[in-house]
Amino acid sequence: MKVLLLATALTVLTPFASFAQESDTRGEIRELREKLERLERKLAADEAVREKKAAEERAAITETVKKDVISEVSAKGQSYFSKLVDQTKIGAYGSIRYGTSSLDDLHNTFTFRRFVLTTDSPIAERLRAYLELEFERFTELELERRTFPTAGGLRVEQAIEGSNKSEISLEQAWMQYDIADWLKFRGGAVLVPLGRFNINHDDNRWDLPRRSLVDRGAPVLPSTAAWPELGAGFLGDFSVGKQGRVNYQFYVMNGVTLDSEVESVIQSRFPRRDKLEAEIELRPTRGTFSDDLKSGKAVATRWAYSPWLGDEIAASFYWGRYTPDFLDSHPVVSFAFDGKKTWGSFEIEGQYVNTWWSGVNGVAKSFARTVRDSSAETSGAETAELETEVEFELANLATRKQGYWVDFRYRFWPEFLNATILGRHFSNPQLISTFRAEQVWFSGLLNSVAFTGGALTDFKTENRLLNRFTFGLAYRPVPLVALQLAYEYTRTNQGKSLSTVTNFLTSSKDREFFQHAVLMGLTFGF
Amino acid sequence: MKVLGKWFWLVCLLSSLETPFLATAQEGSFLKEEEAPKAVFPEATSFDRKVIRSTEELKEKIRQRMGKNKTSLWEDSYVTFVAKKGELTLGYAVIVEEIGKHRPITFIVGIGSDRKIKDSALMVYREAYGGEVRDRRFLQQYKGKELKDPLLPYRDIQNISGATLSVEAIGRGSKKALALVDIIYFEGLERK
Repeated sequence: MKVLLLATALTVLTPFASFAQESDTRGEIRELREKLERLERKLAADEAVREKKAAEERAAITETVKKDVISEVSAKGQSYFSKLVDQTKIGAYGSIRYGTSSLDDLHNTFTFRRFVLTTDSPIAERLRAYLELEFERFTELELERRTFPTAGGLRVEQAIEGSNKSEISLEQAWMQYDIADWLKFRGGAVLVPLGRFNINHDDNRWDLPRRSLVDRGAPVLPSTAAWPELGAGFLGDFSVGKQGRVNYQFYVMNGVTLDSEVESVIQSRFPRRDKLEAEIELRPTRGTFSDDLKSGKAVATRWAYSPWLGDEIAASFYWGRYTPDFLDSHPVVSFAFDGKKTWGSFEIEGQYVNTWWSGVNGVAKSFARTVRDSSAETSGAETAELETEVEFELANLATRKQGYWVDFRYRFWPEFLNATILGRHFSNPQLISTFRAEQVWFSGLLNSVAFTGGALTDFKTENRLLNRFTFGLAYRPVPLVALQLAYEYTRTNQGKSLSTVTNFLTSSKDREFFQHAVLMGLTFGF
Repeated sequence: MKVLGKWFWLVCLLSSLETPFLATAQEGSFLKEEEAPKAVFPEATSFDRKVIRSTEELKEKIRQRMGKNKTSLWEDSYVTFVAKKGELTLGYAVIVEEIGKHRPITFIVGIGSDRKIKDSALMVYREAYGGEVRDRRFLQQYKGKELKDPLLPYRDIQNISGATLSVEAIGRGSKKALALVDIIYFEGLERK
């Protein structure tokens, strides 16, 4: 019975026990699943945070790198620019003069000779650029232009205001590549190496307040100094023996050309009709800086030998066609010798130049053929109130010009001046006394040319001589500044006018053949 | 003219070739610091390098010795060398800088034990013009010069036309070097 009761109880209770056990397991499983789900969510959240953080870090790194790169590039750019600006040196030289003259037409006057700005920039190692911009006797240049409708048409007004005899000129603008001491390439607007003055023309390097006749006043050089030409070439220097040194320059350039200058004259002549004159003058000028007017190029070279410090002798040569393409081809040939000798405080420096303008007569004929008439007048009904005249001229030509200048200089400084204002503040002030002798010979100087119907009707030339002696005293407190005082005596053939052989002396009187002048100059550089 | 043109371009082409004999240029660096003392004391077997700091006291002493020649540049310090041959002191060398027209010229001045300039050599030249001051024939003028000499163009130094400012700079620098060696090595300021 007991057994039966036990079996029954087990049979009844076992399902209940089994049910309770199953219920516990399910709970555990649920709990575990929930735990697992929480863990998965946590993991996912952690992963999301990590990814977000990594993304932020990546972005930050990218930004930093970007900033670094930009700042490095910018710094490099800035450093190159700053370096270039820092190394570019701006300088200048200039001069003014007060002059008196015995010629009737010349007033005592101050002259602002020139102010020249210079920049020198080392672009990179062995590469540099140099520029000289000249303002000669320049005060202003102003252009006014107005276009407006009027009754029945359009009116255009133009006015140009500028200072008389003034000029803005590019004296030098070149780039140089230093291959070696003895071989440097230079290209651009370069100074023509003919003689020693043109390549050393800075006013503050000279002790007299006027440039030489040969180079400037009655130029024997094919063009007045400072004379640049557009071209390219080589220069350099090398040692010869223990003490000697050779310096050379060689360029191919556009070269001097006969270029036209138009001069307009308006003349009021009451009661006659007013007159408008246009003078078209063909004169030798520096070559063009754009399209050359002629097909041939010019060459120039200078070779200087310095046997020892302070002394130098040099020879130079220029050759090139000077006629534009519409005239027959003719060359101008020029050669020069120059040098300097030093004995302690005493120096002699000089230059001789000889220039041959070939075929001046032929050029005149060719010019006459091209232009046909040297002057033309119109007096038609439409210009009844105004007489118009056009004149064609050939100017400043001579078959041969030759001349020289020689300076004798003595530098000194009396010790007692050290206690004065002249010497107190300077370490090496100087007084320089100079005597300059100059002569220029003109052979076949074109005097008058007339032509009609394409044929020469008048062709007159003459031979002339121009002399000048100058005594000067200069005070240099520092090397780049000088106060100058000079007396000049200039003379040409008796009975002939100085104005026909110089470009700076104007005289309406034919018989003014000599001039006394006193000049005071101030020249400076920095 | 056409023939000339051909020659011109031929020279252009040749000049574009890099060859060893095209190695130097007028402006630039010519001597490194380690080569410089040997250039002015070629017979020396060793060099003691010493850097002298430029103090106000030193500047004042140099100023006094230079007289009317005023320096254009005060260095922060001076690199000097004591040149020796074995145990024997041959002299002293100083690297100095002076402004030419626009830029500093760096050069070394060798001074013998007799307080006279033994030799000079240009290390760096930065000016556009006046590179002739690098020539031996110019620098040899300074040999034998001492502190009491003017070292000025047209006085006791032959000028180079167009490079007067560079010539004056070399004179000032040489005088500064003489004054420095006088103060530091002969009067022994460094030991005080």
